[in-house]
Amino acid sequence: MSQIENVHTKARELLESQAVDCVIGFGKGTTGGSRPLFVYGPEGVEDLIFDETCAHNLAKYLLNRKGKTTAVVLKACDARAVNLLLSEHQIERDKVYMIGVVCPGIKENGEPRDTCLRCGQRTPVSYDYLAGEPEEATVDAELQYKGVAEMEAMSMAERKAFWEAQFDRCIRCYACRQVCPGCYCDECFVERLDPLWVGIRIAPSENEMWNAMRAFHLTGRCIGCDQCERVCPVGIPLSLLNRKLEKEVYETFGYEAGMDPEAAPPFATYKKEESLGFGE
Amino acid sequence: MARIGVFICHCGTNIAGTVDIPTVVEAAQNMPMVVYAVDSKYNCSEPGQAAIRDAILENRLNRVVVAACSPWMHEKTFRKAVASAGLNPYLAEMANIREHNSWVHNDKQAATDKAIEIIKMAVAKVSRHEELFPKALPITKRALVVGGGIAGIQTALDIANAGHPVVLAEREPSIGGRMSQLDKTFPTLDCSSCILTPKMVDVMQHPNIKLMTYTELEQVEGFVGNFKVTLRQKARKVDHAKCTACGLCWQKCPEKVDSEFDLNLGKRTAIYIPFPQAVPPRPVIDTANCRYQKYLDFTAEGREGKAPPKCGICEKICPVGAIDWEETDELITEEFGAIVAATGYKPFEPGGYTELGKGKFADVITGLELERMMSPAGPFNGEVKRPSNGEHPKEVVFITCVGSRDKQRGRTYCSKVCCMYIAKHAIMLKSHDPEVNCYVFNMDVRTVSKDYEEFYEQAQLSGATYIRGKVSKIRQEGDQLIVRGEDTLLGEIIEVPADMVVLAVGMEHSEGAAELAQKLHISYDVNGFFVEAHPKLRPVETRSDGIFLAGACLGPRDIPETVSQGSGAAAKVCGLLSQDFLTTDPLVSVIDKVKCAGCLLCQDICPFSAIDSETLRDGRTVSVVNESICKGCGLCVAACRFGAANLHGFTQEQLLAEVLALWE
Repeated sequence: MSQIENVHTKARELLESQAVDCVIGFGKGTTGGSRPLFVYGPEGVEDLIFDETCAHNLAKYLLNRKGKTTAVVLKACDARAVNLLLSEHQIERDKVYMIGVVCPGIKENGEPRDTCLRCGQRTPVSYDYLAGEPEEATVDAELQYKGVAEMEAMSMAERKAFWEAQFDRCIRCYACRQVCPGCYCDECFVERLDPLWVGIRIAPSENEMWNAMRAFHLTGRCIGCDQCERVCPVGIPLSLLNRKLEKEVYETFGYEAGMDPEAAPPFATYKKEESLGFGE
Repeated sequence: MARIGVFICHCGTNIAGTVDIPTVVEAAQNMPMVVYAVDSKYNCSEPGQAAIRDAILENRLNRVVVAACSPWMHEKTFRKAVASAGLNPYLAEMANIREHNSWVHNDKQAATDKAIEIIKMAVAKVSRHEELFPKALPITKRALVVGGGIAGIQTALDIANAGHPVVLAEREPSIGGRMSQLDKTFPTLDCSSCILTPKMVDVMQHPNIKLMTYTELEQVEGFVGNFKVTLRQKARKVDHAKCTACGLCWQKCPEKVDSEFDLNLGKRTAIYIPFPQAVPPRPVIDTANCRYQKYLDFTAEGREGKAPPKCGICEKICPVGAIDWEETDELITEEFGAIVAATGYKPFEPGGYTELGKGKFADVITGLELERMMSPAGPFNGEVKRPSNGEHPKEVVFITCVGSRDKQRGRTYCSKVCCMYIAKHAIMLKSHDPEVNCYVFNMDVRTVSKDYEEFYEQAQLSGATYIRGKVSKIRQEGDQLIVRGEDTLLGEIIEVPADMVVLAVGMEHSEGAAELAQKLHISYDVNGFFVEAHPKLRPVETRSDGIFLAGACLGPRDIPETVSQGSGAAAKVCGLLSQDFLTTDPLVSVIDKVKCAGCLLCQDICPFSAIDSETLRDGRTVSVVNESICKGCGLCVAACRFGAANLHGFTQEQLLAEVLALWE
């Protein structure tokens, strides 16, 4: 059976047995491509698709279904998002059924996404059921951190100029936040009036504050799905910023978010040999 | 509307010498919401405090800034002064213009400008202060003492005599600790057991003391006044309620193993009491060595081959049927208001000093081994004999500072008691056998307590030769050891033939000290000794409220000092337990249930385990701070992405107001 037929069979089985109330997967888009599809009964499972247009990270939708039983179709990066949410106690493991799919690499407008070119993880790290044939992960740090080295090579002044130019385009639509599985505060700091961390006007200083704080709040938590960059209407290379921070975290703490829901996040652990960066 | 008063202190010339006070007063008068600003020679003096009190009443002030020293110094003083005028004490704020300013700058202009800015920030912050109220919590009036050496015994007895119930937990089968292994004690040469045993018996018989031997501390939850402690009663395989201590079992047990109490110089049986005066005088079965237990394990695991012999003699011979093979470790949870750690030390293991040949030459022994030899109840019945051939030694060399004051081996500290116990050994050896010659290689001799110098002189008069210098090598020649060392006073290398060499090993932290410290949430230093709250002024307290320390777990101590610390810790415990309620500091963290998304990171981060979770009626799980445990460190505030955690007295609004004040 093909991968999507396996997904159909599994989804039908889960809905018929009432093991879950809903299966979140991909459906055909109205203007071509794909869209998220919520299937509530066995009659809808045939509408589920999976192909190289299925770009969305469906893990985010689990946040709206807290306490309800849900199955969700997950690519490799999406499964890491589920692990992140599990480790942060946002969802319950026994309420979520993880249908893993082996990802062919996502294409946009017929071209492979940069993210997917860099990614060596075709098979999800965690799943309850794997619809496709598992593939070995390939690790290529150089590819993974592509662009980061170039940024690191810039002088401080160049780097500042580079990011100022990027953030200057930001219209603070917050699409990056809305799509991110790790951004789930009930009240975002940018919307807080007292204290007013970020001014409301669209100005370089406030834009920088937003983008810097967004990235910092995700440090050690970004699972690299790059949905933020995908949805950014003005094309800010947010993935570059995220990957720089993840590289720092990996090099300092040996930690990658979402790989193991049981692993203690670097914030919550202390090892004697850790560098404090001062007083040494 | 805030009506702020600013009180600027000269601190004599401490501040006024570097800061132009009139300029600062004038600047303060013009700050927003400040209705009154004045200077004083000493704000902390009685007239200074009275001036604050009067100014609050006259000017209807509702916030106060005291620009003076560090809050560590006088925050409490000024809170009291503010409270005496009827204001909530937490509506006062200190601007530190001394430690943070006048003491560290020379430029008067710059220091004046900086003082103004520091005050400006404090004014902005205090305008956002809220009234805070301490809470009252009940206290469990019971104490736990961990460790049944002389420190723990003294602590337990003193607390119990004050009328509070005490549990004394000891991990060995008997209390008594290291002191029970000693023969005589310096500088009075009274017999260690003779002075210790009555105290051990007092512990056993005291109506307020519950003795739990063979018991280890498993887990500590809760906080000062309300600890919940889980203790592991290790399986003894002997029902102590039935046992009458007749002694038949340990006389008849056929399995002989090295005695830990006698430092492997003697033997004990597998069912044993560690020494004749053990308290409680009830045996335990050492399951690792018991023949019947080996047989039981063999059959239980269904192993192949020949089964070990089925012994069980103790069970057959026991007249009251106290042997219980079914007994397993038992976890017991009890509540306490205070905990005292009195876990002592272990002697330094000198194997690393290869040049001294411990382990290689049988006649190289440690000071504690010599104690066991000298002890009339010891393995040699009080006769000092050479382990190599059983003869009485005539030439005895002592080597001091083994494992102490040795930077190269990373052991920097002085173990404090070795100089004195060597003097004692020299005197005692001479009294055992007047023909013995003692030589003491030493770095210098430290005799810093009452009657110690006289005792050292007594050792010299008894004939001991003190040689100032270190030993570089010990080698065997015939049946003698040749100790090669330097006499630094003569400037010569000398060699001393010896029948026996005694290493004056130092004190080391006890086994498992770090693990215990982690369970109790107290600190320990690089040497593994526990850290007191203040080395001079709070020597038996820790930074964790309700947890106290006594004896050699803090560092090398002799018996008099250990006993005084035991009594000191007991006094602290009694002070705590004599209160009916505890008031908590309101400067603690609080978590906004609306903003909290329940990632629970704060629980992992909190160094005091002060954060629990709670499920709300809408099904959301959020973090909740236990105000009586929280120390107000603010780690949760820094870690919280949602901005849900906030620290009373240092709220995000207050801190931001401070920062923004700098740009105004």
